[in-house]
Amino acid sequence: MTPTEIHQRLLEVFGPDDILGLEAELIDPVIVVRPGALRAVATHLRDAPELAMDFLRLLTGLDRPDAFEVVYHLFSYPKRHSVGLRARLDREAPTVDSVWDIWRTAEWHERETWDLVGITFTGHPDLRRLMMPDDWVGHPLRKDYQKPSVYHSIPTTRPKPSSQAPTHVFPPAEHVAKAEVEGEWMQVNMGPHHPATHGVINFLLETDGEIIRRARPDVGYLHRGLEKLAEITPYGNTMPYTDRVDYLGSMFTNHGWAMAVEKLVNVQVPPRAEYCRVIASELNRIASHQIATGALAMDIGAYTPFIHWLRERETINDIMEIVCGARLTYNYMRVGGVARDIKQPTLDRILTWLDHFEPMIDEFDRLISNNEIFIKRLANVSTISAEEAVSFGLVGPNLRASGVDWDIRRDEPYSVYGDLEFKVIVGQGLRGSVGDAYDRFVCRVLEIRESVKILRQACLNIPEGEVQGKVPRDLKPTANEVYARVEGARGENGFYIVADGQKQPYRVRYRTGSFTGMSIIEHLSPGLMVADLVALIGSLDVVAPEVDR
Amino acid sequence: MIDQLPILQDHAGEPACASGGDGALGMVWTTRIDDLVNWCRKSSVWYMLFATACCGIELMQTGGPRADLDRFGAVPRASPRQSDLLIMAGTLTYKMADRARLLYAQMSEPRYVISMGSCANSGGLFQRSYSVVQGVDLIMPVDIYLPGCPPRPEALTEAILRLQDKMKSERWLDKINKP
Repeated sequence: MTPTEIHQRLLEVFGPDDILGLEAELIDPVIVVRPGALRAVATHLRDAPELAMDFLRLLTGLDRPDAFEVVYHLFSYPKRHSVGLRARLDREAPTVDSVWDIWRTAEWHERETWDLVGITFTGHPDLRRLMMPDDWVGHPLRKDYQKPSVYHSIPTTRPKPSSQAPTHVFPPAEHVAKAEVEGEWMQVNMGPHHPATHGVINFLLETDGEIIRRARPDVGYLHRGLEKLAEITPYGNTMPYTDRVDYLGSMFTNHGWAMAVEKLVNVQVPPRAEYCRVIASELNRIASHQIATGALAMDIGAYTPFIHWLRERETINDIMEIVCGARLTYNYMRVGGVARDIKQPTLDRILTWLDHFEPMIDEFDRLISNNEIFIKRLANVSTISAEEAVSFGLVGPNLRASGVDWDIRRDEPYSVYGDLEFKVIVGQGLRGSVGDAYDRFVCRVLEIRESVKILRQACLNIPEGEVQGKVPRDLKPTANEVYARVEGARGENGFYIVADGQKQPYRVRYRTGSFTGMSIIEHLSPGLMVADLVALIGSLDVVAPEVDR
Repeated sequence: MIDQLPILQDHAGEPACASGGDGALGMVWTTRIDDLVNWCRKSSVWYMLFATACCGIELMQTGGPRADLDRFGAVPRASPRQSDLLIMAGTLTYKMADRARLLYAQMSEPRYVISMGSCANSGGLFQRSYSVVQGVDLIMPVDIYLPGCPPRPEALTEAILRLQDKMKSERWLDKINKP
């Protein structure tokens, strides 16, 4: 169904008092709903068989001059249609009903919206700060927000360098552990400095011996305010910031941002540039999955496979360095094209390397994928059913491992993925049940093989031509809203941009796979062994900056 | 092997050899205790397995097979109590700053800090952000500033070598004996 049809259907059910209108002129149209009717409309959207909006892609808040807004982006896996919802809230006391029990992923989205924008969600079970520290004052994504001059005796502006001797006194360390004794359960802090948490993420464990009663992720230790920074940076200049949204998969965030801005300003990308994007992205996917699978093996206790992957990853880094001049934060793509062409010698080098690399995947499989102990540690551990995966908004390999056959590259072809042949890997319960930790691991290993296939085709079929389309010097899109998404290494990388005719966006929201992947851990943790939690975190492939942004 | 010992090129540049002969057996070498201790310390710089952001991946690659930090005696330790060196790899947020200070306080002296990457040096790309500490040196003393976003493994190797140079020039025994 198109958004107009969905709007019509909702009008028939709820009437014009609750459904206030359709903003059809937006690139991604949005239905405006009365805040009081939001829960009823949301339930209908999810449960009506012809709508079946089972996936809440995005929930965020906007600070407009006249009102606060909450925006919901919905998608239906069975029907493959999408629509946005919007509710305008009172400026003085922005309050709206929570939808956390309709789409479970809303629980974390709403906590984040409360934390950063200051919108209260009534009925939310646990409305605490998510990203900022508990004693932080204010809501940073509001337009009138002023940051404090000192936080915990740390000055928030850098003193100017002076020739005098430094007078700065280092503040003393204080014990800041969050776990507190409560009842007969043992409370343990796992992280934020912990080798197995994949970056600075804290888990508050409540344990009974080795059995976990509950593991509560405490994130935000790498919350860098990227969305606020995008509001003060011109569209083209935000590209390097998107690198830092997901440093293991910078190409995908580059690609998503470029696509979103191209939709806004209506720019065509030359075919050779599209091929360059795909080649760079797939190389990046291999590199990212290598860290994911290798680090999982290392967390389980096998160090060698990780080192083997690092060795292969160095070659990818070398190729990337030729392609874009950087090893990690690529900043390769531009609005309307790519920064520079991938020349024939580099393409040859990629092809030669692929011939060398394919046997290395077999070697990796021999080393670890078929290892008895490894399988026993992962099979049947923390199984995620397809319904849970969709409700919690899992995306990418985590979703496919649970048996949902969905890949944006194939099902909503962007760039030149429509011309390339590859298989979408879906979890089959190879060694246990569908959607267990081993399936998530195997999905990634098999996706590396598919990426090799894509790379071969792309390197051989790349057409001649320009790599940069015609783009106005000053990007100034008219007031509009857009949501673009690409299939990143950790699933859907979505970019929601609200433009208001200025050089900078009015509001940006990055939708990332790790954020939702993280939010399912508390739900899955009861009854796990502590060691299984490590397997769960590793198999979900969460990356801290993607969670925190 | 033995002629590579840096303590032997002490001050005058001449090895202080007490007994003659060209065989290694029976040779007596004189040096200062400080130099011997420093040589031992700089040959086993154990760094904490700690990274906050993007630079952590390059830190990982530096420990990997190509850059191979092990050859300089630098191996990762998971606990701050066993580490000599804190490599502050990546962006430090206010929420993390309390924890980082605690980690630094838990390290035993002598301890060193490498500020790796632009974010750790000065806030870098995130200087205008509301949640990023504008430089690690606001919360702990820093020995080496390593520029780059992120720095290459070669750069980090160089930083460790510079740190070893610093270690070699220190006089810890004097400090201990003084009240």
